[in-house]
Amino acid sequence: MWGGPRSGRAFLENVEWESCLVQPHRDAALERDVRQEFGVVPPALAYLSSVPWVARSLAALQLVPSPHLHEDVCDLVRLVVAEDNSCRYCYAAQRTIMRLHGFSTRRIRELEESRFAARLDPREALALEFARHVSRIDARLADDRARLAAVGWSEEAIAELACVAAANVFANRVATLQALPIASVERAARLPGLGLVAPLARRLLFGARGETAPLERGRCAGPWSFLVEALARVPAGRVLRRVLDDACDSPVLPRRSKLLVFAVVARTVRCGRSEREAIRLLMDEGVEPETIGEALRHLHSSHLDRADAAIVGFARETVRYRPAEIQRSARRLEPLLGQEAILELIGVAALANAVSRLAIVVGEPA
Amino acid sequence: MSALAATVALIAAILAVALVRARRRERGLRERLGRAIEELERLERSFARFAPEEIVERVIAAGASPSGERREVTALFADLVASTSLADSLPPTVLVEILNGYFERMSAAITAHHGHLSTLIGDGILALFGALGENPWQSHDACRAALAMRAALEDYNRELRAKGLPSLGLGIGVHRGSGVAGLVGSRDLVQFTVVGTTVSIAARVQQQTRESGVDLLVTKTVAHELDERFVLEPRGPAALRGIREPIELFALVGFAEASATAPDRAVPQGDRAT
Repeated sequence: MWGGPRSGRAFLENVEWESCLVQPHRDAALERDVRQEFGVVPPALAYLSSVPWVARSLAALQLVPSPHLHEDVCDLVRLVVAEDNSCRYCYAAQRTIMRLHGFSTRRIRELEESRFAARLDPREALALEFARHVSRIDARLADDRARLAAVGWSEEAIAELACVAAANVFANRVATLQALPIASVERAARLPGLGLVAPLARRLLFGARGETAPLERGRCAGPWSFLVEALARVPAGRVLRRVLDDACDSPVLPRRSKLLVFAVVARTVRCGRSEREAIRLLMDEGVEPETIGEALRHLHSSHLDRADAAIVGFARETVRYRPAEIQRSARRLEPLLGQEAILELIGVAALANAVSRLAIVVGEPA
Repeated sequence: MSALAATVALIAAILAVALVRARRRERGLRERLGRAIEELERLERSFARFAPEEIVERVIAAGASPSGERREVTALFADLVASTSLADSLPPTVLVEILNGYFERMSAAITAHHGHLSTLIGDGILALFGALGENPWQSHDACRAALAMRAALEDYNRELRAKGLPSLGLGIGVHRGSGVAGLVGSRDLVQFTVVGTTVSIAARVQQQTRESGVDLLVTKTVAHELDERFVLEPRGPAALRGIREPIELFALVGFAEASATAPDRAVPQGDRAT
């Protein structure tokens, strides 16, 4: 990530990428559930099926309705964030989706060549800049909300822009950290004639599903409730509540390990609010404040076991990385953790990255 | 009728020729644009060798800004031991080859630990940790980088000896403190670096390695930030040239991986115990 000059497909196809960490396994029941709930089964599902919440969350966060945004803007945000995170898998997949959504190859190329500036109106250009800032945790994020509001983006639309960007921060990490196979998805992105089936595909495949009513205040409660409350007015708030609950309740890794990941990621991106929430939850789990303090100060504590000691070090690396390096780091952890646990760790780290970025956008309480 | 058909055919032919020319022209323009993009990327890559990628991107996005930012940074200063005699005794091409191999390895060790190579001064290296953005683990990173540099040099020396070339010796000083980070320089040469006593102290600490007979020295400020995995040896206060107060120094001996100190946990698949 942030590995030097980049301009679209040509750049990304030169990004080093390791072989996939996980063996695919088709889970018919999970596929049926996902198809029923979201209308489509993401091709990556077979690689995530051993930890169902990661598979379900990938679909849920990618397909959450954004009623305050035009679908083209969502598509562009997804492409820009995938590029910013050097995620070859998501970039190629998003390119294919955009062609099925009716973007011509010429238009996509034009956008890539202009670094996503060609023929965009100033509002759209600012939205893409905001998405890039969310992805990079850029210091200018603090001013972005006011700048977006000044050109006419509503509060709800800004929240949805942040959520689309953060959902892709999650998806990019899930795909990159385990090195999802890229050959077939990159081939698909180059297929000629995809535009011909676009109108049909758009109708059949990509109608965003899910409830769009605001989440009632009482149903926001749970880990990171401040964030869910702040996003309750948009459909992503409801999805985030479920994803966070599923992640925290999943039995693969101990809850304290997962909360340590959240705390370390929050400290790395300097999100005090998310860090405080993770610390509070760790203390609820009975972890001593000294252990938490030591782990956050040194990325190490003598009170952590080998697995947690390795997990906190890895969590920090998931914020900014070069794909092949983080893929090798994940592989090194596999003998210690096992395949299911490493997949859950990837999911949790991806979620912690998305949540911390959203918490920065939401800001401290007035 | 035939005249009309001929006219239509002529117009069609003219249009076809115009279309073919327009396509050719577009293809030509696209190729030129492609070459321009490649050139731009090549320039960016070249520039990235002189400034951190994040800075390159910031400059592209917002233009070079003269404003600096006060930051907490850890400075690592490394210098080759007896490089002058090396320079005198080796043919220039061999010397340059040896030095390039050395810089390549040191740079890899620095970037692998979240640092960035700020400046090369002769055969000296100034690396910074936390200069590009807040880094709560900057001293830890700088010390891990120093140890990685030591290990990389040992490997490199084996390679050099195998080729019948002389080994290199290294001295590293690490200090943490406040400094002003920013793009500094003239219109012709701009560099991203940190200005302040933190960097000068790191350089003086590095000089002290020769007198102390050790290769890695860190100040008390850095040592205070490290956990028990770092093996440190107190060396007492040292009077450093140009620095008013003596500074307490520690030799950085090694690092014990967490796996050596932490208890094992069979990962509880399905177990939610804390």
